[in-house]
Amino acid sequence: MKLINGELEKSYLVDSIDGGCMAKDRLWKLGIIPGVVVKIKRKAPLKGPFMIEVNGADVVIGRGIALKINIKEI
Amino acid sequence: MKTIAIIGQPNCGKSTLFNQLAGYKSLSANFPGATVEYTKGQTYIGEEVAEVIDLPGTYSLSWYDDAEKETVKALFSENIDVIVNILDASTLVRSIELTIELMSLEKPLVVALNMMDEALKKGVYINVKKLESILGAKVVPIIAKKGKGIKDLIEAIENAQKPAKRCVYSKEVEKYINMVIDCIYKNNLKNEWPIKLMAIKAIEGFEACQKPLENSVCENVFKQAKFSLRDGLVIVQERHSLCMDIFENVAVVKKKEKRALEDKLDDFLLHPFFGYLSMLAIFFSIFYIVFHGGVPIENFIISVFDKIDTFLVHALYQHRLILAIVKGIVDGVGAAFGIAFPYLLPFLFLISLLEDIGYLPRIGFLLDSTMHKMGLHGTSIIPFISGYGCSVPAIMATRILKSKKEKVISAFLASLVPCSARTTVIMGLVGYFIGYRYAILLYGINILVIMISGIVLKKLLPGISPEMALDIPPYRLPTFKTLILKTWHKVKDFVFLAVPMLIGGSIVLTLISYYHLDNIINGIFKPFMEILGLPSSIAVVLLFGILKKELTLLMLYQALGLSSLSQIPKALAPNQMLIFTVFVIFYIPCLATIAAIKKEVGLKNTVYISIATLLLATFLAFSTKLLINII
Repeated sequence: MKLINGELEKSYLVDSIDGGCMAKDRLWKLGIIPGVVVKIKRKAPLKGPFMIEVNGADVVIGRGIALKINIKEI
Repeated sequence: MKTIAIIGQPNCGKSTLFNQLAGYKSLSANFPGATVEYTKGQTYIGEEVAEVIDLPGTYSLSWYDDAEKETVKALFSENIDVIVNILDASTLVRSIELTIELMSLEKPLVVALNMMDEALKKGVYINVKKLESILGAKVVPIIAKKGKGIKDLIEAIENAQKPAKRCVYSKEVEKYINMVIDCIYKNNLKNEWPIKLMAIKAIEGFEACQKPLENSVCENVFKQAKFSLRDGLVIVQERHSLCMDIFENVAVVKKKEKRALEDKLDDFLLHPFFGYLSMLAIFFSIFYIVFHGGVPIENFIISVFDKIDTFLVHALYQHRLILAIVKGIVDGVGAAFGIAFPYLLPFLFLISLLEDIGYLPRIGFLLDSTMHKMGLHGTSIIPFISGYGCSVPAIMATRILKSKKEKVISAFLASLVPCSARTTVIMGLVGYFIGYRYAILLYGINILVIMISGIVLKKLLPGISPEMALDIPPYRLPTFKTLILKTWHKVKDFVFLAVPMLIGGSIVLTLISYYHLDNIINGIFKPFMEILGLPSSIAVVLLFGILKKELTLLMLYQALGLSSLSQIPKALAPNQMLIFTVFVIFYIPCLATIAAIKKEVGLKNTVYISIATLLLATFLAFSTKLLINII
């Protein structure tokens, strides 16, 4: 499933990041790497971005990116 | 002289540390990307004077945006003797990734472990000695904001050694990396990067390192390594797990039972409904405080300068030219301190507070979807809001944006945001003489115009609009001292640039009217000013305004032939004040801003932006005139 379909307050395992994602490099550096656990903390209204927790830090990512991150339930 | 480079990930406190070492020179703030170009300063290391360089934050040496590129360029081009790698102890895992890369540069390295207090607050206890032995480099715990540990750090810099260890990957990974290294070495394809780092970054797909290998004799070897290591993902994962291992080795995490106050604050400030409401309330209160605090002070200062004026007229009435020039200078200084300071100081103070608390990236979260309609994303909100302080850093902040399209759009729109100079015009003219509701209305109209311009630009400019990926910092309470220093840093420009220009400007105006040149100059601009319904005598003021926007208000009364600012209503009707202010808000950016725009998006775009703003301002001022006539 995609991160965009994830539920609030739930943790997921990052499975892969789709090819062609322009921000892949930035995501890696922010610690969003396949094999890492992320928690969805907030979703902004009106198709706004997601706030996720990675390694104890909060990161905001746009929906377009959340659409390209594949996750697995733990 | 030794050169010391401060390098670390975004928002880990580099500028704060730099300011502790070299005096307040670098603007710090609580959002990633607050520093986008490097600042140099000097400090004493032991008995010796050393040069310190504050570099923009970067997550890694393979840059993603232009601010990060600046850092790497400086790192390779400057002759650096000691690298001070500053880490945010509260996000240790991520921070160590950069440390590992820096270790491969083989330069004397000191690790400054910053924000130890925040790590403790999070329940993270770090064993510094253990970290030191794992990294093979001196680690000094500091709290840069409070100046703690700085002495130890300076001592460590004095005795800095090259790191004793290197990052070694698994056998399989090292095999492929070595294959690429061998080929680079044999065929002399090396660039300024350390060879192993170059090979790793090339495999990870970083363009600057990949390019020398493409279409070279090494292409096949390189492609094989890239394929086997899954485009570098294997390396990235190994490095990440290495960092995790280090973290688990050196840190003990005690989970806090109570939810942090911060999360509760975010529940409210990022709430789908209350979040937006509180955002409006915050901005409204800033303008309310600035206006209601400023008016009485303006009244007082102006009355003082009126008295000085009367005295001067009595004392110098026999020497007309001298009187005119002296009065011009006194009035200029009076206007500067009377109008600008009462609004400028509290306003810049409050904007600094907003930047330092860490609210800006959160506005990015709230407004990301709105920004998408303008071809931008939430990150662009940072230059916009900084723009209320000054347009120059706002334009420079577009460096944290990735694509050319969003840079051009952001630079254009950020230049439309009324900076503190234009705020003095809005507050001191419209707010003071017509009422603060009209001032607030102008801010509202301004936001509306920015949004519409953004929507139009998104349609006009080619290119895709990227998405937001931004690190959200914790809330931080800035120290009062930092805030005062920061406000002063921003006001300094006004004192040393705007005031002399103002004095020069008023002398020019005095000479123009003394030699009766005004008719000729006014004649040239008359047709244009008539379209806007403004007296032609203020065209000169608008020209001076391009030098510095404050001048439009500060020179206004003199150009109108009045003896003091309080008489402006005699020469300008309220509707003319509105038209004038609308024009001033939007027309051509000031010289410093034009220079910044040119630096960020090139000469061609700067010319377009300047012409577009002039047309936009004329159109809006003219529309205001029509609208008022209808009402």
